Amino acid sequence: MADAPTPVMFAIITTDKEAVYGGMSPIFLAHDDLERDRLAMWLTRITNCIAHDLHNGTVVLTVNQSGS
Amino acid sequence: MSPSGPIDWSPMIIGFIAGFVSRVISIRSGRSHYPGYPSGYISQIALAIIAAIIGSSIIVALVGKQFTAATFLTLAATQFRDVRATERTTLEKEENLILVSRGAGYIEGIAITYEARNYLAMLVALVTSIGVQYLGVIIGSIIGIAAIIVGEIYMSGPHMGDMVDVEPAQIHFEKGSLLYVGDVMMMEVGLPHSRERYEKEGIGVLITPKGPRGQAALWNVSQRQAISHEVASAVGAQKDVGYPEQTPLCRMDMPKGSGRAALSILPVEHDVQAAIRAVKMTPVLESGKWSAIRSPILNRKGLN
Repeated sequence: MADAPTPVMFAIITTDKEAVYGGMSPIFLAHDDLERDRLAMWLTRITNCIAHDLHNGTVVLTVNQSGS
Repeated sequence: MSPSGPIDWSPMIIGFIAGFVSRVISIRSGRSHYPGYPSGYISQIALAIIAAIIGSSIIVALVGKQFTAATFLTLAATQFRDVRATERTTLEKEENLILVSRGAGYIEGIAITYEARNYLAMLVALVTSIGVQYLGVIIGSIIGIAAIIVGEIYMSGPHMGDMVDVEPAQIHFEKGSLLYVGDVMMMEVGLPHSRERYEKEGIGVLITPKGPRGQAALWNVSQRQAISHEVASAVGAQKDVGYPEQTPLCRMDMPKGSGRAALSILPVEHDVQAAIRAVKMTPVLESGKWSAIRSPILNRKGLN
């Protein structure tokens, strides 16, 4: 617990389709920032993952490997 | 029956009382570490009685030339080794059930203290009963009281307040989503909703070490986890399963490496003074003890 376990990319939510390419996690497309934040919030609460804003229209959700 | 006449019970009785008192005192001061349930107290009191009896009866057994009894008593004393493992297992199991975990270092510290308390009770009982046996009841009782006081002073280790200064600081966000306490960067909060919560309700404190020793303690991750746990139990944490970004955090001033730390928490009770008190009252963990030779950070920075 003391040190953060290695996070795994869980999902990517973006309004900018061009900014994200490929990868092993699902990519959710949002129409605008509000929609993106709403999606991020829902997925965070559902899956216990952590939202990180990359400030290019993309929010990534990471989840810690061994629970939290 | 010993050949030297009837047994003199007074060393055993006074030694027992002294050992028992020495253990019972620490039940009170250990309140924040152990759940305050009656069953928890009873098992501690039972151990206290056993430890005090063992400590106080050895000298009586030896004087009565009952060497078999004395040997058995030392055997019984070794049984207290299990106490530490039991305590550690309990706390480790609990770790997954509490929202702000104690951290492995803190658990080990509690377990060691728990075990040592029983041995201390045994020692106090032994010293007192020796005193009563050879110096009389009155001087023996005085020795017992002195042993209790010395034990208390010796066992109450340093607190973070001895080594660090704690001051309240403002929580704010930079670059849109980076949570700062004062000028210390804590983490990245992606959700606008959580950012609002932190700005409105969060409290932050800055922890500045008074010297290299305090800094070494702060660099220890277990130590900071223990601080988070203590603060969360003092002011509460608005957190539940599924809200990972609302976990109380204690982080170093990292890209700069200035040795200062900061703590951010979403409290249930918005009481900055209580949070500061909790930081100061956090015990300094043994694993975080200062060693100039072993600490790579202090060596590198030439602080020692």
